Amino acid sequence: MASTADHDHHDDHHGISHVASIKVLVGTGGALLFLTIVTVLATKIDLGPNMNLALAMFIAVIKATLVILFFMHLKYDKIFHTVVFMSAILAAALFVGFTLMDSGQYQHTNIWNPDSPPVAPYGPRPVLPQ
Amino acid sequence: MSEQPHAAHDEHGHHGSPFIAHHYDDAQHQFDSGKFGIWLFLAQEVLFFSALFVAYILYRHHHGEIWMYAHKYLDTKMGAINTAVLIFSSLTAAWAVRAAQLRQQKLLLACLATTLLCAFGFLVIKYFEYTHKVHEHILFGKRFDPCISSNGTSLPTKNNECPGTKSTVKWDFAAGTGTGCLPDIAIDQDPREPLVQANCRVRAVTGSTKLVDKKEVFTKKSEQVIPNVCFDGEYGPLGGLLPDANGNPSKSKFPCWKPKHQPAVCKGGWFYAWGCEGEKCEKKSGGEGPFATLQACDDAKRGKSSALGSQGKATVSDCKHGQASAIVVEWGDHTVRHSPEVGHGDGLEIEVECDGPSSVGNPDYFADKTQELTPGAPTTTTKRPLDHHDLKEMSYSGPPPEHTNMFFTIYFAMTGLHGIHVLFGVFIFIWLLIRAAKGHFTPDYFGPVDFAALYWHIVDLIWIFLFPLMYLIH
Repeated sequence: MASTADHDHHDDHHGISHVASIKVLVGTGGALLFLTIVTVLATKIDLGPNMNLALAMFIAVIKATLVILFFMHLKYDKIFHTVVFMSAILAAALFVGFTLMDSGQYQHTNIWNPDSPPVAPYGPRPVLPQ
Repeated sequence: MSEQPHAAHDEHGHHGSPFIAHHYDDAQHQFDSGKFGIWLFLAQEVLFFSALFVAYILYRHHHGEIWMYAHKYLDTKMGAINTAVLIFSSLTAAWAVRAAQLRQQKLLLACLATTLLCAFGFLVIKYFEYTHKVHEHILFGKRFDPCISSNGTSLPTKNNECPGTKSTVKWDFAAGTGTGCLPDIAIDQDPREPLVQANCRVRAVTGSTKLVDKKEVFTKKSEQVIPNVCFDGEYGPLGGLLPDANGNPSKSKFPCWKPKHQPAVCKGGWFYAWGCEGEKCEKKSGGEGPFATLQACDDAKRGKSSALGSQGKATVSDCKHGQASAIVVEWGDHTVRHSPEVGHGDGLEIEVECDGPSSVGNPDYFADKTQELTPGAPTTTTKRPLDHHDLKEMSYSGPPPEHTNMFFTIYFAMTGLHGIHVLFGVFIFIWLLIRAAKGHFTPDYFGPVDFAALYWHIVDLIWIFLFPLMYLIH
């Protein structure tokens, strides 16, 4: 166990793979927990539904990036693994994007104009069962 | 600790771990191959979950009102705790990799054990969340038949076997009857006064031998105006059935329009109040809907008289079912209570007390508007204009908008699939813990720890998105 003392000081490429330093690990974990609190508190502020969603997603993307870079070691890993992972993200983005492009084709048969809502039908008062 | 013989591989030129397979050049080669494999798997996981995210995005895009309503069913605190649990376990998983790389055997065991415990913790919290939903019938597809609104108000349901004192009515819509007990729901049935809101409760009930607990029998939050909520015929007491040519209720439901980013709004149509006597419930009175649309509220604010007239008849009935008892007091006109029926039912005398809500804007508006409701006496109730917050809160107390089950279909599909991943993680970490205890992992052979940690991080990553998308809808 004596040799481990040295490793703590120069956490670089070591043997087979990169060894993450405790500072990086704890720092990432702390940042993730902090951002979780931020995102919960952010819902209490009214920025309009779209901006609140955008803010929540922005924080989620930062958290995801932290996890990928440091916990998953992608920052220190082979660039090829980044390519593999990013191509999956890109494929997913295309998937979502193209589906949303088409989404205008559905629904929208009920068009609502708040200034002149449709007239309600009126009928005779029903005969009540006694 | 290590009882593994090193000799086995020596003739092949390997040194160190006995787990380096023959077909690899060396430990590095084996590790890199495994790592490439796990990254391909993670890429596949992203694509796998993306299909569900597409379903989520499309449905939320088209039916924002459902998301606005339904997310209040979820407990943000539970979701936030689970997020923290997963993040912490991600940290310990990453630390386990470091410990394995540095031959820190005890630390490795501790990190793996902590990760495993967190995975268990996550599943336990999920279990509590799911059982609550099963209990209240907040489920997916056709099984979505909630006993409570997203604000916690009791709701009458279709196939009701709700727990506790909530409705246990079974409705037969063809015959127009129901059996069982109604919950104490309070709905304003006077469309002429959409702005009236008062907190009423029964102060005393006397003359009854039937009721179990007189004080808890009837605690209505208010006679509520419930705007922006679509009631249809299947919602028992508020069955919105349009009259046919002869004035009899037909099967047609309220006409509803769904603005793109607003809750459904109902306008026009008839409703029936239901009364219970003993185990039997039937239609007691009818009146015109809607209760209040935004339009009706606006009209009233501008001093226009509402086009909607008439009101339901006051009925008082009591209902007893097992341990649960409830009185349903429904009245159509709460401005003037001249009906001698109010306050009577099976020899009961009921005293209702109403608190005016705190004044907003114009205090004079509320002056002397609070008074005790006594059976048979003319009464008035407090008034104040509803603000945006009221409207929102009240729409949350009403029945869910149409197709709210889709939220829970997607919710259970996504969190369920994620939960299955966590369950697999539990098995993987048990396996790692056993191997680690045997001393299998060394600085030249820690691939399994690293790959399992990567898998665990992607599980965490998916939850990082699921949490705000499900629990934190503004």
